[in-house]
Amino acid sequence: MSEVNEDASAHAGQRAIGEAIERGDGGPSVDELLARISQAAASSATGPVVEPGVGAVAEPGAGPAAGPGADTSVSLAGAGAPTDTDASAATSGAGDAFSGEPAVSSDAGTEGGPQGAGAGAGTDAGTDPGAGAGAGAGAGAGAGADVDALAAVVAAAAGPFVPGGLLAPDADFFDAGGSSVGAVELVAVLEDELGMELDLDEVFADARPSSLARRWLATAGASAALQALSAPTATAVLSPGAPTVPAPGGPAVPAAGGHAVPAAARTTVPATGTSTVPAAGTTGGTQPPKGALAPVAPASAPSWNPAPTTPGTNHPLFPSPHPVPPRATVTARTPEDRTPYATARPEDLDQILADLALADRLPWTGAPEPLPPRRILLTGATGFLGSHLLLDLLRHSDAHVYCLVRAESEEAATARLGEALKGHRLPWSAEIRRRVTVLPGDIRRPRLGLSDEVWNRLAHELDSIVGVAAAVDFLRGYRSLRQSNVIGALTLAELAATGTPKPLHHISSIAVFNEVGISSMGEDDPLAHVDRLVAGYDQSKWTAEVALRRARDHGLIVTALRPGGIGGHTRTGAHNPQDLSSGLISAFGRFRTVPAFHRLNAAPVDWVSRVAAAVVCEPDAWGFDYNLTGVPNTLDDVVRDMAFGGMHVRVQDWDEWRADALARLEAEPVPELAFLSRVLQSPTALKLCEATLKGPAATDERTAALVEALGLTPAARYDARAQLRTFERLAEDGLARLPHKDDQPYLWFTETTEGTLGPAGAGDGDRYGDGDGAEADMPGPPGTAADTPCSMALTLSIASMYQLVKERRVDVRGELVCAALHSAPLRVESGDAWIRPEEGIPQRHGTRGQLLRYRMTLIDADGGRWWLEGHKTARARRDVWRQTRALSVEIGREREPAILAGELVVPADSYVRDQIDGIRVDPRLTSREKRAAKLTWLAWFGAEMGRGLLNPFARAAADLLDLRPARTPSERHR
Amino acid sequence: MIFRTANSRTSPTIRKVRTGTALRPLRHRLDPARVEEIPFRAGDGVRLGLTRVDSGERDRPAVLLLHGHTASADMFLLPETRNLVDALLDGGYEPWLLDWRGSCRLPYNETGQRYTYDDVALHDIPDAVSCIRERIGDRPLFVVAHCIGSLTLSLSMTAGLVPGLAGVVSQGVFLTPKLAGRTSLRMTVAGELLKNRIDHIPVDFRKVGLRSRYTPLFALASRGAHCPDPTCQILHNSAWGSGASLFLHENLSDATHDRLAELLGPAPLWILPHLRRIELARTVVRWHDTDHRYRALPPNALDAAARIDTPVLLLAGSENGLWLDSQKLCHDVLAHRQPQLDVSYTEIPAYGHLDTFLGRGAALDVFGHILEFLDDRR
Repeated sequence: MSEVNEDASAHAGQRAIGEAIERGDGGPSVDELLARISQAAASSATGPVVEPGVGAVAEPGAGPAAGPGADTSVSLAGAGAPTDTDASAATSGAGDAFSGEPAVSSDAGTEGGPQGAGAGAGTDAGTDPGAGAGAGAGAGAGAGADVDALAAVVAAAAGPFVPGGLLAPDADFFDAGGSSVGAVELVAVLEDELGMELDLDEVFADARPSSLARRWLATAGASAALQALSAPTATAVLSPGAPTVPAPGGPAVPAAGGHAVPAAARTTVPATGTSTVPAAGTTGGTQPPKGALAPVAPASAPSWNPAPTTPGTNHPLFPSPHPVPPRATVTARTPEDRTPYATARPEDLDQILADLALADRLPWTGAPEPLPPRRILLTGATGFLGSHLLLDLLRHSDAHVYCLVRAESEEAATARLGEALKGHRLPWSAEIRRRVTVLPGDIRRPRLGLSDEVWNRLAHELDSIVGVAAAVDFLRGYRSLRQSNVIGALTLAELAATGTPKPLHHISSIAVFNEVGISSMGEDDPLAHVDRLVAGYDQSKWTAEVALRRARDHGLIVTALRPGGIGGHTRTGAHNPQDLSSGLISAFGRFRTVPAFHRLNAAPVDWVSRVAAAVVCEPDAWGFDYNLTGVPNTLDDVVRDMAFGGMHVRVQDWDEWRADALARLEAEPVPELAFLSRVLQSPTALKLCEATLKGPAATDERTAALVEALGLTPAARYDARAQLRTFERLAEDGLARLPHKDDQPYLWFTETTEGTLGPAGAGDGDRYGDGDGAEADMPGPPGTAADTPCSMALTLSIASMYQLVKERRVDVRGELVCAALHSAPLRVESGDAWIRPEEGIPQRHGTRGQLLRYRMTLIDADGGRWWLEGHKTARARRDVWRQTRALSVEIGREREPAILAGELVVPADSYVRDQIDGIRVDPRLTSREKRAAKLTWLAWFGAEMGRGLLNPFARAAADLLDLRPARTPSERHR
Repeated sequence: MIFRTANSRTSPTIRKVRTGTALRPLRHRLDPARVEEIPFRAGDGVRLGLTRVDSGERDRPAVLLLHGHTASADMFLLPETRNLVDALLDGGYEPWLLDWRGSCRLPYNETGQRYTYDDVALHDIPDAVSCIRERIGDRPLFVVAHCIGSLTLSLSMTAGLVPGLAGVVSQGVFLTPKLAGRTSLRMTVAGELLKNRIDHIPVDFRKVGLRSRYTPLFALASRGAHCPDPTCQILHNSAWGSGASLFLHENLSDATHDRLAELLGPAPLWILPHLRRIELARTVVRWHDTDHRYRALPPNALDAAARIDTPVLLLAGSENGLWLDSQKLCHDVLAHRQPQLDVSYTEIPAYGHLDTFLGRGAALDVFGHILEFLDDRR
């Protein structure tokens, strides 16, 4: 799944801003704030001009909020009422997109089936106009203006954090390109400069400046007017019977207001911000949309999207509200005193139901030709899964692939795709470019942001659509994600159903089951209950899949592919650094603790993308649901894997682990893991984590059958070996941490050697490793007396088995005593020993294979620096036991040739005592783990030495065999 | 009684082993007029195959393609997939294809006219290079070599017989061949057991039939194989009985899979002693120690690696089942012992040995690296 909305680069400029949020230095009083706002509003009058109608648009809720005296029941919490507006707005907008006939959308409320949608829309119809009315009455008009102005200020503050540098007050911060990090910084800036204390989670739930402004005004509650608003809130919410909509009079107004808003009013909106304007802006300001809004704030681009348009001017508002009852039931399900975050927010549910209804507007379509595709549209090709899927589609079909990439121009889009592929360690060459056409576009925009001509051509030429693009962010709310994850999917469905019928392959997610306590996650099992999905991401994936299920009733062939966690590539280690599982794996390795979980439904990206590509290319496989979850890892598997890699972990309870991990991340901040801290602190994301970790194993009978039928690699557990490359890459990226030389060693033992050294061989001043041979460097040329006694006491240690297997290297510390160098012992400053380096290839033509190579830097008591190079070599001679112990060394001053050479030997009696019996293991391990570690080392080391010693003998034997006469069999006739 | 003449125990049809030196025609989908077969004999008089693919332009850099042992120039011309010759032509190069004496388009692997890799390094490659140089003048000449073609090329290069190449791409193995211990052992044991009975291991079951002395070999090779095709089994599952694997099965297209017997020929057993000596030394060593006609070749190519005068790209599939990580080892050894050389290493994830050229996705995953290397140095 691709991070549509997040640029990895955006995370680069991360700043430690957390403290700023914590710093609650009592913000300015409301009066001060209002003063500031009015200044800012004055200045912002110029800013918003760029986007007429956007600048000062107040969320409709502002009106009701502003007119408390008139009608307390409107106060349904600052957030509730206005958001519903979006539902209906989007619904109506959808009508535009599909049918081109605005009139169709008028029945959004009634036809929507689910009461929530209809009700939501109806409610808005009632409340928004109420705003207009309230404004007319003049009560609290000032407050309404405050919201506008404040929203403008917030938008201005948010500008620097979005790519364009400008954010419309009703454009979603994330949709405009803001990142999670940007959001954190924005919160800090808002607090520092405006004294607005916003909860970060609120920002993630709905990050439009206008709603932030309104929410803050609603909760800050310092001014009398606002208090008047906020006080009744609680009671009003709790009494379902209370009419949300003013009274008969209310609904009447809106119709008038809605239709009557003159174009002129719109233009005046941004600049003035007087009492009457907000109302006008509410209804009219966002209407003019398309041209005006699109460039600055794609999120508020036309038809499919949630720009707070009140039910349009171009179609009738829902005349008489039958709004209250359903709305009340929705509200009643989540009374205020229940645990927050246990269930979905009602306004999100309303939005979900409205979005589901959009599927009903899809055209009817026939069955596609059951042939392997020749022209495929792929979205999300710059993402992690998408880029791997692009390559697999190219490899395993003959199709030409059209990639929809977010960018201004085709060149920019191509460059972006190339960067993304290379970033995921995939090839990007002329051979790939010749089979790929890049289309600059955006799934969040109507018709994917393509021109009508391109859209129509695609509709008739394509024969398969693969939708991978999605915003993957576990912190953001549904409202912020729906444009990418739901509306985008529906637009693809529209394309699939238009023109030639095409199958739509939708990358869903196992998150559609992400309900705490769900009993099974089979491919055809019922999905979660959406009201029990808390995280916006889960909700958005659920909605998309359910909406596409409805699309199936229109004749569309929809395949839902549901990956679980997508792990790094088993061969390249390419991974998604911002992915939750990357963060968790890194944290497991760093802290050596794992939270208790049932199963981890994760599969490596190469397998997921291979199977997905197979489904796309196999007509018999189209139209079903697949769980691409692979073989789930159990807790035992993970613990064993990590122990096998030398990382012995301890299991903790989830809450304990979370607290522990958070504390450690706070004590020693790891910038690359900051997102993990945020996830671990976000109540909604935690819910998601909890459901993931405590969920049952996903089952995948259909996928397994398909894999078998097509002869693909069956799913294998994503085990330590498969994860190794990924873990290395994580370490390179700074997320994970590999065991290090300075850590407590995993295993160590001592080695003592004794021998004599003499002057280095005649003329052989070359340093050892530089290509000159082993044979010449043996003991000492005859004639030079090797008579200076010398001894070494070394400690050989390894930080992990990984180091051993990967680098074949052992860390060396200790000291050397040699009177010819210095009277006092020389200390080993740094040293390494390689076991069977270079596969034992002899240094020079011959049969003397390398067994061990030592390389050390020594410091004498006077600070003089020396180098030491030592070799153990194997020969086809009977003194095998001695070969394993004899180390021929050369010593010289730093950057000078060798002055001493000789042979040091481990005394036979100390070898077994020190190097087998004397092995020590990290005391933190249990005795069973210690035994295992010791045996693993001995087995590995023994096998390596055995191979090294055997090779010269094998070569001697081969020379003998070569002498064996061979009769030449004449195989002229067989 | 009258029926006795129809003896049911007639001896099986005698199949003649091909002995003529005429080359089997290439299989390709290029315009035949653009494919020029050049009559070419190596310095010791052995008839070889040299093919030039005309690009229509006279000023392109030339690229000599060297196949692996028992393969042939066909491996670069697969008509069923996007092949290296296509990619080179589109990339602005002029491909030249040499069928050295280990090619299955030539009869030498079967007829028992023995040779060692010394002959290839001393005659075939240097003579082909000079023949091409005569034609192309001072245009740059690159070499892309696979497997044994690359191994023998390394011997030619360290002997200084092919100076002045513009660049070399080596796939699979270069200076430091490394086989799995199991493969090495099986090769030795099988070679010693069989060498007085047969002189080559066939790969095409259809040519030898069910009742043949090779049947036990095919039976052994089928052990644990997933694919029922005996040719695929002896190559993919066993690599001519050695137990290694030549390619990842899923990387081949069906058409290529069905043509394997055409693409790879029988492997001669009498080459095994040289191969074994090379493998045990973990470096390319010459076979003829006492024959002075071969003294131009270094006794140990790794010791003479300083003579390499051209940039080298070492390519290897991450799942190479035959030569394992020989290329990475080669890169490490050369970086340590000959740091002045321009040697780079690229690993191709999820590819085996032969499928780096035969695989259906090779153009996407492999050829890009080759072209990028060539483009940087043209």
